[in-house]
Amino acid sequence: MKEALVLVQRISAHPDSRCWFVSWSPNGALLASCGGDKAIRIWGREGDFWICKTVLQDGHQRTVRKVAWSPCGNYLASASFDATTCIWKKKNDDFESLTVLEGHENEVKCVAWAPSGNLLATCSRDKSVWVWEVDEDEEYECVTVLNSHTQDVKHVAWHPTKELLASASYDNNICVYKEEDDDWECQATLQGHTSTVWSLCFDATGERMASSSDDRTVKIWKEFPSESGPGNLSWKCVCTLSGYHGRTVYDVAWCPLTGALATASGDDAVRVFKEDAAASPDECVFSLVAQATKAHSQDVNCVSWNPKEAGLLASCSDNGEIVIWRFKED
Amino acid sequence: MASHFSGVLQLTDLDDFITPSQECVKPVKVEKKQGKSVAKIQIEDDGSYVQVNQDGGKQKLERAKITLNDCLACSGCITSAESVLITQQSHEELLKVLRSNKNKETEQKIVVVSVSPQSRASLAAHYNLSSSEAGRKLMSFLKGIGVHHVFDTSFSRTFSLLESQREFVERFSRREQDSKALPMLTSACPGWICYAEKTHGDYVLPYISSTRSPQQMMGSLVKSYFAEQQGLSPQQIYHVAVMPCFDKKLEASRSDFYLSDAETREVDCVITSGEVQKMLEEQNVSLSDVEPAALDTMFSSVCGDEFLSHAGSGSGGYLHHVFTYAAKQLFGEEVKELSYKTLRNKDFQEVRLEKDGAVLLCFASTYGFRNIQNLVQKLKRGKSPYHFVEVMACPSGCLNGGGQVKPSSSQNQKDLLHQVQELYMAERPLLPENDTRVAELYETWLRTVGEERAKELLHTKYHTVEKMTNGLTIKW
Repeated sequence: MKEALVLVQRISAHPDSRCWFVSWSPNGALLASCGGDKAIRIWGREGDFWICKTVLQDGHQRTVRKVAWSPCGNYLASASFDATTCIWKKKNDDFESLTVLEGHENEVKCVAWAPSGNLLATCSRDKSVWVWEVDEDEEYECVTVLNSHTQDVKHVAWHPTKELLASASYDNNICVYKEEDDDWECQATLQGHTSTVWSLCFDATGERMASSSDDRTVKIWKEFPSESGPGNLSWKCVCTLSGYHGRTVYDVAWCPLTGALATASGDDAVRVFKEDAAASPDECVFSLVAQATKAHSQDVNCVSWNPKEAGLLASCSDNGEIVIWRFKED
Repeated sequence: MASHFSGVLQLTDLDDFITPSQECVKPVKVEKKQGKSVAKIQIEDDGSYVQVNQDGGKQKLERAKITLNDCLACSGCITSAESVLITQQSHEELLKVLRSNKNKETEQKIVVVSVSPQSRASLAAHYNLSSSEAGRKLMSFLKGIGVHHVFDTSFSRTFSLLESQREFVERFSRREQDSKALPMLTSACPGWICYAEKTHGDYVLPYISSTRSPQQMMGSLVKSYFAEQQGLSPQQIYHVAVMPCFDKKLEASRSDFYLSDAETREVDCVITSGEVQKMLEEQNVSLSDVEPAALDTMFSSVCGDEFLSHAGSGSGGYLHHVFTYAAKQLFGEEVKELSYKTLRNKDFQEVRLEKDGAVLLCFASTYGFRNIQNLVQKLKRGKSPYHFVEVMACPSGCLNGGGQVKPSSSQNQKDLLHQVQELYMAERPLLPENDTRVAELYETWLRTVGEERAKELLHTKYHTVEKMTNGLTIKW
């Protein structure tokens, strides 16, 4: 392989705890991490290294499972097992808790901002997906509560340009939602994974989606015009990456800059796949181009590509560590 | 089996919701009996469990059961309550009672069926009838299978509306001293009540109107007034309500509506509009072909052979009636027509009374879980601008209840709902104050029982359900 994952820095980010998730700010300058220690840490570059700039504590009573930056980079949302979602506002180099979104019955598993920044989606073990709207006064109101899943909902992700939302669940399915008339509706249910779908993400155009699962595969889904009418879309699985992961694939990240696909797995490895440019877009082919087999000493929970610096990748693990990698293609 | 509860109480195929949070975690309480501690348990051929003592003696063991009351008292799931309900409240149960009456197996029960106007409209749409026709034909069908009396819950709703109006004015007058006096939230929707009790307890319950729902007003009328008039004990009456909503079964099962002295519920069984349709189909009867019967006028709002209804929403018109009454009573304003302003979505509307630029009254209706959610959050933050809110769990309210007749294969849900709404609105409204029969009952029955008893008969209470935290239920 001419490509390689080069270790840039290993950080003990949430010592004696799990590090669940990492998220780059939209300008790529900051990295937010969260963990079982109920804290959120913000990391920034100084020289060649990433150091902790600030710690957000006391926002949550239990594990912080996911964090998400607003598209403008001025707000951070955190989803916690304490059933709440916290919205933090950036003030110079610090963050203050702006509001707490309550309503989910129990553990909130994920939070994501729509590209406009006006909508926020959350999902929970209570099997529901909620969409919230924020007004000029920074007040959040619930726009819809969607109950298309029959089990714990693990992840939510927005289309990069449209107001289209996708969710992944313990019921092995992916649901895609959009607003219809007066309310949001589940427009498509993507079936194919044979176990929990842990994560999903769109590619840069939003025409395709990658999902990762407990069935040890990654699936690529592509939208096709639906027979049920114009404006509706159906999604078909055009590729399944199997045989690469020894255990659950907890996360998948599609680099908007390079098109490389990174995965985080319970087999402690971080892998990077590249698409075969020669294949037909309706039957795409991905090959494994780089992997760090012992990336972490425990489960890798998350991978995230820096949105501005091509090839810069962050991963985090049950052992509380964050690792910054550089994916080199030459 | 798919759940039938309103959105607020379940998930599955309805768009609105509240989720059964976890598998049933209610510890089953078994009465421990004194005895030797060593014994074997043997399963008999019939599936029963028998305890075999060391001396060889056998003793049949009781089956551990989760009752509906366990479910209602639990902060966990609601779905398991469903199978419990089905065994207690279904049209099969009604037929069983009618059969045993016919066969004179047990003591005869006087069977009373109280039909809601929303169910009438739903059946009317299904059988292509007017709402009053559907009511008359249904009455004829029910009497034909052995039901003794058929009443109309528009009649008992008149009590609910009058009591709500008075309660609001009373709460408004003490709003300065009591921060929980307003907004007054309606109480007729059992899905909403169950949700409020399970998840928002002490925060929200004080705002909820203590006025009984039309179903439970009828419960008082039938098992108290009617029983006495007929010289019957409450137990000798089997009272069935026909409702647009499955959650009404839960309401009927509340311990607040159980007459412990008489060991009977005020409403013994609730069946939905859809179950009535099923019952008709099982008997190969089309409601359209049934000869209409004369109306039972004892507890019905009727004029000639037409049923009368109430103005305002298809969910009882609480906002409409309380608003016009309060405008008159508190500000001397005669409101002829209410202008509803749609806010975030069609299920969130606002009505205001303004004078010289000042807002005197600000009322809202919030239907469906998403709107209930925002209401509750606003209340918690002290940011609710409302004096009164008509709260319903189902999007579009009771006419769209989960128990209504389902659309046929050629119909779509929206068109059907529209048709049901038109049929419902076609019934002529009656002003609650103008119902002479109700006024008479206030004068006679309710006056003689005394103020305290009258309050019990017309009002109810709500109870916070403690949240259970159980480490066993965590899932990553």
